[in-house]
Amino acid sequence: MPESMAAPEAAGTPLRLEQRAKLSSYLGLSLKNGLLNLLTLTLYRFWGKTEVRRRIWSSTYLNDEAFEYTGRGMELFIGFLIATGLTAVFLLFVFGVQLLGPFAALLILPIYVGLIALIGFAIFAAFRYLASRTAWRGVRFHLTGSAASYGLKYLGLMLLAGITLGWAWPFVERRLAEPLWANLRFGDRPFRFSLVAARKENVYGPFALMWFGAVVGYAILLALAAPWLRWAAQSQSMTDPAALAQLSHAESRLGVLFSLLFLLFLLISLPYRAAMMRSVARGIQFDGARVRLKIGALAVGWLYLGNVLLLLFSLGFLMPLVQARSARFILNRLVLEGGIDFAAIHQSPESGPRQGEGLADAFGLSII
Amino acid sequence: MRAKAHDGETAAVHEVEVEVSSWALSFRLGDEPQIWRFSEIEVEPLGDQVRLKRRGQGARLTVAADDWRAATAADAAPVARRHRRRERRLVVGLAAAAAAIMLFVFVGVPLASGPLARLTPPPLEARLGETYAAQLQFAFPTCAGEAGQDILHAFGDRLEDGMDSPFNILVEAVEAPMVNAFALPGGRVLITDDLIAEADTPDELAAVIAHEAAHVEQRHVMQAVWRSLGLGLILDAVVGGGTGAGQQAVLLAGSVTELRYSREAEAEADARGQEILHNLGFSSEGMAPFFRRLAGEDRRGERAAGVMEFLSTHPDSLRRAEASEARAQSGAVAFTPDEWRTIKAACEGEPRAPSAD
Repeated sequence: MPESMAAPEAAGTPLRLEQRAKLSSYLGLSLKNGLLNLLTLTLYRFWGKTEVRRRIWSSTYLNDEAFEYTGRGMELFIGFLIATGLTAVFLLFVFGVQLLGPFAALLILPIYVGLIALIGFAIFAAFRYLASRTAWRGVRFHLTGSAASYGLKYLGLMLLAGITLGWAWPFVERRLAEPLWANLRFGDRPFRFSLVAARKENVYGPFALMWFGAVVGYAILLALAAPWLRWAAQSQSMTDPAALAQLSHAESRLGVLFSLLFLLFLLISLPYRAAMMRSVARGIQFDGARVRLKIGALAVGWLYLGNVLLLLFSLGFLMPLVQARSARFILNRLVLEGGIDFAAIHQSPESGPRQGEGLADAFGLSII
Repeated sequence: MRAKAHDGETAAVHEVEVEVSSWALSFRLGDEPQIWRFSEIEVEPLGDQVRLKRRGQGARLTVAADDWRAATAADAAPVARRHRRRERRLVVGLAAAAAAIMLFVFVGVPLASGPLARLTPPPLEARLGETYAAQLQFAFPTCAGEAGQDILHAFGDRLEDGMDSPFNILVEAVEAPMVNAFALPGGRVLITDDLIAEADTPDELAAVIAHEAAHVEQRHVMQAVWRSLGLGLILDAVVGGGTGAGQQAVLLAGSVTELRYSREAEAEADARGQEILHNLGFSSEGMAPFFRRLAGEDRRGERAAGVMEFLSTHPDSLRRAEASEARAQSGAVAFTPDEWRTIKAACEGEPRAPSAD
């Protein structure tokens, strides 16, 4: 009577997502990863990152069952070796072009534009790897679609953002989120991404605040820095100690000013950051389920501030703790509405790429 | 023991009863009898539960951690030991790889940079120099005073007779907001307008030019190009987008190595520069006073000399002054008073527009 052994589960089972990471347990891991990174010239990072992901995934529960991260450090390492080979070829090419003559260097410019598309490619490929190494109840996720066309889309949208002086940015961010979620599958079931639902979240108000705030901030910075720059330019060959003391005083004041402006930029970008995260979450749909993210600007601000302080005072050592903290923060504010018929979901026929994230690692892109 | 099972085919949950023997787990999943050897099982702790999987399969078992411990008390220890051994081997291997890379970049490449530079075909180096010069032209435009430039060119040609350089020494005055002189790959020597203004006597300027010419002759510039290529490769490729601490360590190691080599190169260029002047019968007495004045400039930050020597890109000027004083010989003055006035005036007026020459 094997089938009667199956636990009864209603077709529209309500969903409950919980992140239960014990943050204190990441202190030891942070120390271990940091020391081994130093010892191995950061070559250990692929295994360190894998362990962090494994712990975060396995402490994330959907309806009391933990997710699973099945990636391996070696896969990331091989991806890195491949990307290293490509980087070396690129560097040799750049060096070789120098030998062709003074203005052959201009030949490299189109390649730098191509690099933007390559960043998009790398983001998509990294997301594909991550999805394929994520499982729940033994069923894998996977990402369909083409990384190359995502790269082109990325290039086009970035140009659009540039041409519009940033005003297209909210549009760009949603359009970039769309293929990542619309191509995602859990087993044989597709996710969907509804731009209509995502647009219900107002992001342009907070964006305007951020945009004008940044312009005003830059204006203030320039107004305050201009006299200093002029004066510094005049005192190039100055040897008078008093004037030099004054100069270093002015320099330190400028440093304080920069830090304050950085904080200001961070502060005025928080409402937009929170709104965009809510907007993207709202667009995500799976089966009968809808996603809501309950976060506000203030909460995101606390998260960022805490992360920045932790990284600053630990010289980057506490990165794993920061990642766990951020995952816990966001996942515990995700509310899943509606239900899913789990028994009807079958295993994904794809097992995903054999190695991962090389390019994303080279660009320093991976989020976690 | 009781377990929650997933068959790896659907996301449904099955409750199963698992039999534990001394070497395997056995249970039924649907109609399929399953036998999982301990040697193929991977164990993932999940708080008060553990998740078991058979390598390479989608099926999963979740059991209470206590049950699992009780059932496998004797067999779990070797598995954990094996896991620790594998991790130790990995770390040792990676550390060895890292040490090999460090040795290669910070010892191998610098050691090889001398022979590599000597092996670099001069035409290739000259072409590299032309590219650099064309790019520098935008930042440091050439001074307009043709007569002054001609005198500097002639002095560069004269120096070639006293040395053994594969390149023509092409001396040029440029406008730049700093007291400095540069040797580019392929024999070009750039002297800034501020340096010309700072030089008190023809001897001083001649000594600086001879010093830069010596860099060219000894192919120090090409060596630095090879070294920076090695460091660039390791920064871009190995450390990649890794953590901040590792990147900083590599940068620091790189700048310390570069400093050591550049200090050696400077000392060598000082000595060889003076020798070139002696070969041609010129005075080499201008080097020391110029260093002394630069040392005065260095001291304006009121920093200790030892610190300057270790971290600054200008190796201790006073020490170099003493060394060059000891070697100095008197001789002919490189420029006549007339020529000297013309050189001093070379950078007055608008600089020459950059051209694609």
